[in-house]
Amino acid sequence: MNITAPDADLATAWDTAVDDAPVALSARHDLIAIAGAAGTIWILDAATGACIDTFELPGGALSVALAPDARHAAATGPTGYALWRREDGRTTVRDTGAWSSTAAWADNERVAIAAGRRALVLAPGGGELWATEPAASTVTDLAWLRQGRRLAVAAYGAVRCHERHTHKPVMTYPYIGSHLALAVAPTGRWICSGNQDASIHIWRTRDAGELTMSGYPEKVSRLAFDDTGFWLAADGAPDVTVWDFSGKGPAGTAPRSLRCHETITALAWRPGGGGHLASGGADGTVALWRATAGRPESRISPARILDGDTTVAALTWAGPELLVSAYRDGRIRAHRLPSRTTL
Amino acid sequence: MTTPTPEEPRDERVPVTVLTGFLGSGKTTLLNRILTEQHGMRIAVIENEFGEVGVDDALVLDSEEEIFEMNNGCICCTVRGDLIRILGALMRRREKFDHILIETTGLADPAPVAQTFFMDDEIAAQLRLDAIVTLVDAAHVLQHLDEVKPEGVENEAVEQIAFADRIVLNKTDLVDESAIAEVTARIRAINSGVQIIPAQHAEIYLPQVLDVGAFDLERVLAEDPSFLTETEHQHDTTVTSVGIDLIGELDEERLNRWLGTLLRTKGVDIFRSKGILALAGAPKQYVFQGVHMLLVGEFGRDWRDGEERRNRLVFIGRDLDREALERGFADCLATAGAAA
Repeated sequence: MNITAPDADLATAWDTAVDDAPVALSARHDLIAIAGAAGTIWILDAATGACIDTFELPGGALSVALAPDARHAAATGPTGYALWRREDGRTTVRDTGAWSSTAAWADNERVAIAAGRRALVLAPGGGELWATEPAASTVTDLAWLRQGRRLAVAAYGAVRCHERHTHKPVMTYPYIGSHLALAVAPTGRWICSGNQDASIHIWRTRDAGELTMSGYPEKVSRLAFDDTGFWLAADGAPDVTVWDFSGKGPAGTAPRSLRCHETITALAWRPGGGGHLASGGADGTVALWRATAGRPESRISPARILDGDTTVAALTWAGPELLVSAYRDGRIRAHRLPSRTTL
Repeated sequence: MTTPTPEEPRDERVPVTVLTGFLGSGKTTLLNRILTEQHGMRIAVIENEFGEVGVDDALVLDSEEEIFEMNNGCICCTVRGDLIRILGALMRRREKFDHILIETTGLADPAPVAQTFFMDDEIAAQLRLDAIVTLVDAAHVLQHLDEVKPEGVENEAVEQIAFADRIVLNKTDLVDESAIAEVTARIRAINSGVQIIPAQHAEIYLPQVLDVGAFDLERVLAEDPSFLTETEHQHDTTVTSVGIDLIGELDEERLNRWLGTLLRTKGVDIFRSKGILALAGAPKQYVFQGVHMLLVGEFGRDWRDGEERRNRLVFIGRDLDREALERGFADCLATAGAAA
C-alpha cells in the first residue's frame, strides 16, 4: 500500500550484492558488516560499499556486530561464533556447537556473546573475561547497561542481569514466557523484552516495577529504543508501534501506529534522536517515518517509501545520513539522506 | 492424488514431518532411509538425538528440546522454543528445502512440537505440519505401553501413539503373527483411525509417510476410510479414541459453545480432534482439526446434491467420557430440543 509515492529523489549512495541471503547488518565508525545465512561475513567500506574483507563462520551466521571503533567484529551463528580483527584480517573461530544468537559490544575492548544458555564476555581477541551461569534456555538477546558494567541476558522465563564479580545474576526480572528480543533504554531506566506470547514486557530498572503491553496479533521479535531512550519501536503487528517512554513511561498510554508493511522484517532508529525511524517489510519496501510526530494513538503515514523486489532482511544506519538496507536476494543498498536532520 | 483447481492456490509452505518413537524403534534407520533414497528432494533434518545421521546432501541440525510455556499458564500453549529458533534460521537461508524432518527424542511429548506450528505465525506462514509419524518397535512396545508411571507422569509411548497420524510398526520380523495382532489391537485401542504400516528394518514406501497432509483440512475431507473406526475396548486403557458419526445438521451457536467449553475444560486430556461437520444452512462441509485446545477450522467442499448431511468427528485423549461426548454433540443438532 503506497500512501506516498515511491521516492525517486533519495540518492543511492551505492548499490552492491553479496552471494548469500543476508541475515544481519552492523554499521560502526567507517565500516559495515553483513552476515550471510550460510556463514560468510562481508566487511564493506561504508562510504563506497567496497568490500575490504570477508571472513567465515562455519555452520552459518545469525548476527554480526562491529565494535564501536570498527577495529573488530563478532559474528554469531547456530554452532558457534567468530571474531575478526581489522588490522590483519585475522579471524578466531570458536566452533562450540552451541547456538550463538547474538553479540553485543560493551566498548571497544569487550564483547558479550550468547553461547547456548550462557553469555560470555570476551576480549576482542577471544580471551574469556567472564561468563554467566546458564540461563533456563538458550540465550536469545543481550544488552549492556551501566556503561558496560552490567549485562542483561534474555532467555526463557526472565531477563537476568549479570556483572563480572559473580556467576549468579545480580538482578532477575522474571516473566514466564519466551523473551525473544531485548531493548534497554539508553537512559538505563527501562528494560523491555519482546515475547513469544505476543506482548512486550517492561521493567522499570529502579524498582523492577513491571508492565505488560499485550494484545499484539503476533510475537514481538523486534524492538528498539531510539537514542534518547524516550521512544520504543516494536513489531508484532502489521503496524509498527511506537511507545512513549518519557516521564513516567507508557503505562496507560496508547502507541503511535506506523502503517506500511504487512509483515515487518526490520526496524532501525536513525541516530541522533530526531524521532526518525526506518522499517522494512517482507514485501521489499523500506519506509522512513517521523515516528514520534502527532499524538498518541495516531496513525502515521510514511515520510518516504523505498520500493524493493525482495524481502528486506536487515536495516542499519551508518551515521544519520546513510541508510543501509540488505535484501534477501543479496542486494545491499545505501541511500543518502538529504541532510543530517531532515528526512 | 488430485490436481489442484486453478482458483485454489497450491499450498507453497514447506511440509514438515515429525518422527517420534522410543529409542530403538528405528527412527534413525528410517531417517537414513529417507535421506539416502533417490527422491531428488532437498531435505533438512532437525535431530534431537545427536549425531547419528550424516548424509552429504542433507542439512542436519542438532537441537536440544526447550519447552516454553506462555504467561497465560495454559499448558496447551506450550511450544518448542528450540524448533522456533532453528526453523526460523532455516527459513532465512537462501537454499530452499522441499521437506523438513524433525526427529524427536524417544521421550518427547509430541504436543508442544505440533502446537509450535499453530502458535507461531512466522512458522505457520512458511511451514506446514505434514504428519506426526510414530515408529513402534513391535517387539518391545507393549512393555513400554504397560509401564506404570508415577501419578502425573505421562507414558510417552502412549502419547506418541495417540498423537500419531501414521504408525510404522517396525521390526515385525522379530515377532510372530499373534504378537503383531496384539500390538495392532493395542494401538487401535488408543488411536482407532491411525494408519498402521508394518515394516522390517524401517523399510517402507516413503509416500506413505512423507507429504501425507495429515494436518491438511482438505485432505481430512478426502474421506480416509480409516477416519472412523469403532474400537472394541478389549484393553483397559485410559487413552482412547471416541468417534462420533451422526446424521443431521448442527446449530452453529450450540456447537461453538459445546466445543469451546469442551476444549477449554478438557483440552488438556484431548490430544487430537478432527471432524467433518454439517452446519445448518451452510452449503459447504465444515472441517476442523485440533491439538489439545488449539483448533483450526474452515469450510471445505460443497455438500453434493442429495448428499446426506452427516457429521463425523473423532477425539483421541485421556479418560474420555464417550457417553458425555456423544450426548453433548447430539445436543448440538439443530433438531435437538432447545439449548440447555
